[in-house]
Parts: sequence; structure tokens; C-alpha cells
Amino acid sequence: MDYQKSKEQRLEEDRVDEILELIWTLIEDGEATADKIIKRSEDPQAARLLNDIESKGLISTDHGSGGVAFKETGERMAGEIIRRHRIAERLLSEVFELDDRQIEDHACELEHTHVLGQVVVDSICTFLGHPPTCPHGKAIPRGECCKKFSQEVKPLVGSLTDLHIGEEAKIVFISSKYHARLDRLSSLGIIPGSVIRLHQKQPTYVIRIGETELALDKDLAKEIFVKKV
Amino acid sequence: MHEHGTESIKPGEKIVIIGNPNVGKSVIFGLLTGRYATVSNYPGTTVTLTTGSYNMGGVDTQVMDTPGVNTLIPMSEDEVVTRDILLKESIRLVVQVADAKNLSRGLLITIQLAEMGLPFVLVLNMWDESNSRGIHIDVEKLAAAIGTMIIPAIAVEKKGLKELREVLSQRIYPSISINYGGVVEGGIRELETLLPEVNISKRAISLMLLAGDESLKPWLKDHVSMSVIRRIESIRREIQDKFYEPLGYVINQIRLKRCERILADVVSRYHTGRSTITARLGNWAMHPVWGIPVLLIVLFLMYEFVGVIGAQTLVDLLENTLFGSYINPYMTTMVSTFIPDSFFKDLLVGEYGIITMALTYSIAIILPIVGTFFIAFGILEDSGYLPRLAIMVHKIFKSMGLHGKAVLPMVLGLGCDTMATLTARIMETRKERIIVTLLLALGVPCSAQLGVILGMLGGVSFTVTLLWASIIMFVLFFVGYMASKVIKGEESDFVFDIPPLRVPVLSNILFKTLSRIKWYLNEAVPLFIVGTLILFTLDKLGVLKVIEVFASPIVVNFLGLPQKATDAFLIGFLRRDYGAAGLYALATAGQLNPNQILVSLVTITLFVPCVANLLVMIKERGPKTAIAIVAFIFPFAFLVGGVLNFALNMLGVRL
Repeated sequence: MDYQKSKEQRLEEDRVDEILELIWTLIEDGEATADKIIKRSEDPQAARLLNDIESKGLISTDHGSGGVAFKETGERMAGEIIRRHRIAERLLSEVFELDDRQIEDHACELEHTHVLGQVVVDSICTFLGHPPTCPHGKAIPRGECCKKFSQEVKPLVGSLTDLHIGEEAKIVFISSKYHARLDRLSSLGIIPGSVIRLHQKQPTYVIRIGETELALDKDLAKEIFVKKV
Repeated sequence: MHEHGTESIKPGEKIVIIGNPNVGKSVIFGLLTGRYATVSNYPGTTVTLTTGSYNMGGVDTQVMDTPGVNTLIPMSEDEVVTRDILLKESIRLVVQVADAKNLSRGLLITIQLAEMGLPFVLVLNMWDESNSRGIHIDVEKLAAAIGTMIIPAIAVEKKGLKELREVLSQRIYPSISINYGGVVEGGIRELETLLPEVNISKRAISLMLLAGDESLKPWLKDHVSMSVIRRIESIRREIQDKFYEPLGYVINQIRLKRCERILADVVSRYHTGRSTITARLGNWAMHPVWGIPVLLIVLFLMYEFVGVIGAQTLVDLLENTLFGSYINPYMTTMVSTFIPDSFFKDLLVGEYGIITMALTYSIAIILPIVGTFFIAFGILEDSGYLPRLAIMVHKIFKSMGLHGKAVLPMVLGLGCDTMATLTARIMETRKERIIVTLLLALGVPCSAQLGVILGMLGGVSFTVTLLWASIIMFVLFFVGYMASKVIKGEESDFVFDIPPLRVPVLSNILFKTLSRIKWYLNEAVPLFIVGTLILFTLDKLGVLKVIEVFASPIVVNFLGLPQKATDAFLIGFLRRDYGAAGLYALATAGQLNPNQILVSLVTITLFVPCVANLLVMIKERGPKTAIAIVAFIFPFAFLVGGVLNFALNMLGVRL
């Protein structure tokens, strides 16, 4: 019985999450009005939900224009949801290279608190080098980890293409769909753990590993993720 | 495992030379056997297998030079060839050649050879280059770590050769072995029980199978039953399921980690603090900005050497002086005196005569151009410039579904398209090879043709020359781009190692040039003679006149050329440079205006180079592809010529 209840609670929480997420994105687009929210929401009881969260002090509605704005708690909660969603999108697109449709489906699952905890989100964020935007170019709200990071300046892991010429970095992982490509790269010494130095980016990438100079296409360089040393 | 033996050589046992690309295998092969093999700097040029013999204690032992490999779990055709040699041949000794300054990549192969249980010695070549870079290798420590003989060498200076000869009669089995951890080791043990006895260890084959080596399938089918193959597959899957990454990758990483540990122990570096001129030049040559002037300088020097010294000075000397003033008049007199019959007289010294056309043409005009081109190309190859050129032009080729490496056959095509078609093999996928073959056949003029065309264009104006070159380049690019969309198949990854820029060794270049000229004399000259004979026959039978009647409407109406030009195009079907020469004769006779010269030259440039090129296309790409290429090229050449003629008329351009 207890389990049943918590499941219902969770369902309710998810619905609140969804509507907060919708409000956030509408505010980003500058069109957050109560009418618009109710129209765009997939929830049949969107109007009730809006009243609920307003009475809980998460949002405020301007009765004249119908404009909806976050209160402090609401903004923090919505920010966390958006952050989880967009970090998840980034992870799914960059590391796992899923297509857009799948990214959206999975990111929607992963955005809820009970799926991805705070610590996990911050770890993924750090792993991805504190990306500022989601794959669609929308801003990812900064987390605690990003604040620490902005003092240290260095992103932890980034694509080889983000490296500056002359910089040295250690290969962390190679995200290629093709086994043959992984094998070919590894036979040339491009494997996780190798320290590389970027020589040039044009007309092709030229890197040095030990005493070997290698030329590689940008398409391949994009798949090599490195950590500066 | 540590075994030394000098047991007598069994008949059929071979010495096999193995190593990464560009480490000097071919040089060492040449030194051991005394027979020449192409020494090259460009990754993967040793596509064909070279064998020779070495006198070991009075017994002639066969020596094989294998294509360069980076791993013995094959990823390219070259690597399959090398792996198959190890798998199938009876091997006396493996000589592994490694680049001393890139030891880790060599050691990856060493480990795999050791796992195969083959006796081998390791030659650390380019010892001088590694020293000048401040790398010191403790040879004794390394020998102990691997458990074999190690010979430092500078092959191009013949250093280390004596030591190598001394150990060739021995058979030393290396002692190094790797533990891949419980799961993989368990799989190896299971697989070993299923495999037949062969001359390399079951452990090595088990590891290849675990790594998912598809190229082993045919061999497996010959040696074990289908049920065993299925069993092997299921063992592999079981083990793969326990790892997140592909097994081949896991195994490779363990090997590389081991290499690193060995290296950390035996290699020490000290800072030399100076960057050499060649190293700096090497960087400029692939720099996004400085690489362009370097490229232009290289092109200019090549033009001066091949275009001026070869095509003008030497051709003049041979054609006008040697053949024009001595051989041809002398032979004509001789033949006229001894052979009264006019048919045979014409066959030898007539308009389409073997001596006056085939030999004059192939020896006096083409040989000097091809010869100087081969020298220039040899210098480019051995200096290490070609891979840098590949980097500079990569983007252009990428839009044609190819990558920078395709520039090698293209440049070689400027020397001889037939030879270049053979080197299309350096491209990794079928699609890339077809596109390269097509572009070579379509629009890369060979040195013979280029000589005639430039001579003709030079007489008109620089504008016309520029127009001709731009149109041909545009057509090449356009056809390449379309072909990459139309032809189905994979494109390969552009990743390769860049050898350091080196000062080429003169003797190597001479050797290489001589062998290429020998190839030209043996393979190309007979085809010139055959081509001339066909022309002679057609002329005698009057067929030329008949075809001319049918073809001339196209030439006259569509291309806007005089009827006499038909003759040139007919000959162009056999050799486009012959065709160009025919047009040249028309132009010097004042029968073509500049517009007509441009139209006729563009059309003839787009013809299939020659009969020899066609034969090589059939041999390399198969008759179906070759016929498709030819069926596209000839109508297309006329189409481009016709459109050009139309455009010039419409725009009222008078060049």
C-alpha cells in the first residue's frame, strides 16, 4: 500500500516536473502565459496543476496579462530539471551518438530527480567538460560543479577538435561506431592513455604521439576525446 | 622457449621480412638479395610482393619482402597478404624491421610474432635518426625483454648488414609472452583445443579469432568443420559479452600497455635542443599557409626539370638529332636498299612505320619525359614530401569521395597513367579505387600527352593554356564529385603516419628510376609497337578512310573542327597522345584556329589514355567496370567538346 502511494506521488511529481520544464522553455522563448502553457501542455489537468504550483509558491501569475513567472523555489526546481534534461541530451548525442528522436525520448526519461541524482548529473557535466549548451544550442543552467570549474578554467574532457594548437592532452576515450576504425586508430598508437600534441588543424589535423606524426581527418578527430595535461 | 638452433635449412623454407610501413624493409631486402625492390616513403607503396634469393651457407634461400603492416590482425588488403604469408608459408626465419625512433609501433608487431611462435630477429633501422632526436635505446635490455637478437642498423648506409647476415643462419625463438587476464585466457584455452596443427601457434590464431578477425574465415573453412566454426563463434560471443569494448580493441590495448612498459625500461631521452632544417622544412610543407608556397616551388622545380630539361632539351637532342638526323635517314636508306617491297618498307619506315613512328615516338619523345619524371617522382617519394602533399590537397579530394592519399596516383598519372592505375591499389575501398581509375583514365594527361599539348598550347597563347587547364580540372572535379554520389560503397578513413622529411639517397633514386624505365621499355614500348601495327593495318586496309566518313559529321558539325581532325581522333582511340600529335600536325599546318585548338585538345585530353591503360584497367578493376568506364568516357569527351564549342560560339568568343 505504501509502495502504491509513493508510486502515485512520483507520478504527481513527474507531472509537476513536466509543467515546470514547459514554463522554463516558454519563458526562454518569451511567451509564458497561462493560456499558452495550458495549450502546449500534454497534461489534461494542466490548469489544475498551474493552480497547485502557484498555491505552493513556485510561480506567480500576473492576472492582467496572464504572464507566468517563477518564484525562487520554482525557478531552482525548474532549472534543475532543465539541466538534467539538457545534460542528458548532450551525453546521449556526443558519447553515444544516438539519433535525435531517441535522444529526446531518453532525455525526457532522465530529467526526473528520481532517475538522475544531483551527484550523477554533476559527474556527467564534469565528464562532458561543463558544456554551456544542449545539442540544440539552448543554455544549460549551471550547476555546483560548473561554479567550481569556472575557477579552475580547464574543462576536463573535450573533443580533440576543441584543443588549441600546440597543446598536449591525454586521450580519455574514443567514441566511434566503427570497430574497424577503433582498430585502425589503435594500431597507429591512438588509444586511451596516449599523450598527444596537436600540431595543426588545417588542412587536416596533425598530431604527434611520441616520435610519430599522424595526419587525420576532422571527422576522426571529433571522435577522439582528450583531457589536457 | 628460449631456443637457439642452426639446424640445416630444409628446402622451401623462406626468410620473411616484416615491419611497419616506411621502416626500410625494401632496402634491407635489396641489400640481402641484391635484387632491386621499390624503396618508398609513401605508406603502403610495397603493394606487390617481392621475392629474391639469399645464399645462406651455400644454399639458396628464398627471401620475401612483405607489404608494411601495423598489426597482424589485418585491416587492409596489404595486412591480409602479410598475415597469410606467416600463416601459410614454411618459414625459416622472420626478420622484423622496426623504426628505432618509433619503437612502440614496432613492438606491437614483435609481440604478435612472438605469440605466433616464429623464430625471428629484430632490426632497429634508422638508428641515426633516433640518435639525432635524442633517443637512446638500451639494446641489451631490450633483447633480454623480448628474448631475441636485436641489430641496430642504418640500412641506407649498409650499417648493421654484416651483423644481420651473421645471425640469419640461427633460429631464435623469442621468450616474451603476455597474459591477457582470466577471461580471455580461458577463451584461448577453449579455442586451442578446436584448432588444427599449423606452422604458427594455436594461441596466436585463438587471439586472432577472439579479436574478430573476419579475414581468417576462408582459412578456417578449409581447416575445420562448420560445426567447429559455429562453436568458435559462440565462444567468441560469450567472451565478448563480458567486455564493454570490442575484444580486438581490448586485446590491442593490453599489448600496447605492455609495449609501453618495455619502452619505459629501455628507452631514455635526452634533449638535443635543436630542430634540424629538414624537420622545420617538413613542418612548413604541411602548414596551412606556408605549405602552399612550398607546393608551388615543388611544382615549379618539377616543371623545370621534366617540362624544360626533359621535354625540351632531351627530346630535341634525341628526336631531331639522334633519330631525325642519324637513325631514321640511315634506316630508311638501309631498308630501301635491302627491302624493295613497298609494303614491308612502309611497315618499318613508312608513315605508320615501326621504326619511324613507334620507336621514334616511344624512345625519342616519351622516354626522356618519362625518365626525367621518374627521377623527379623518386625524389619526391624518398624525401617524404608526398604524404605532406596528401595533407595539403586532402580537402579537394574529400569532396570527390576520396582522401588526400589519392593524390599519389594522380601525380604519378602525370608521368604514366598506366602505371598510376596500378597504384590505385593504395586506396583502401573498392569505391575509391574505381573513382581514382576513372579520373586517371578521363582527364589526367600523361607526360607524353602533356608534352605535345603544352607544345601546341604554348604556340597559341597563355589564355588558351589556362582555359584548357581550368576546363580539364573542372571536369575532373565535377566527374569525381558525381562519381562519389553515384558509385556505391564505403569511403575509408584518412589517417596515416607522416615520415620525417629526409635527404634522398642518390643510389636509391637511381635504382628506382632504372627499374621503372626498365618497366617502361618492357611493358609500354611493345604496346606502342602493337598500337602502331593496328594503325598500319587499318591504314593499309583503308578502314581509316571508311570510319572517317562516318565519324566526320560529329567532328565537323558538333565540334566545329575540319574533317581532317577525324583522323587524329581515330588514332586517339588507341593512344590519346598520338591523337594529340595528329592535332599538333594540323595546327602547325595552320588548319586549326585557336578556338578549334582548344575544343580539339579538351576533347582529346578526356579520351582514355591508351590501349595499355585499358588493359590495366581490365586487369585491376575487372572487365565490367573497365568497359563501363570506357563507355562513359568517349561519349562524355565528345559531349564536353561539343558543349564547349557551342558555348564559345554562343558567347562569340574569339581566342
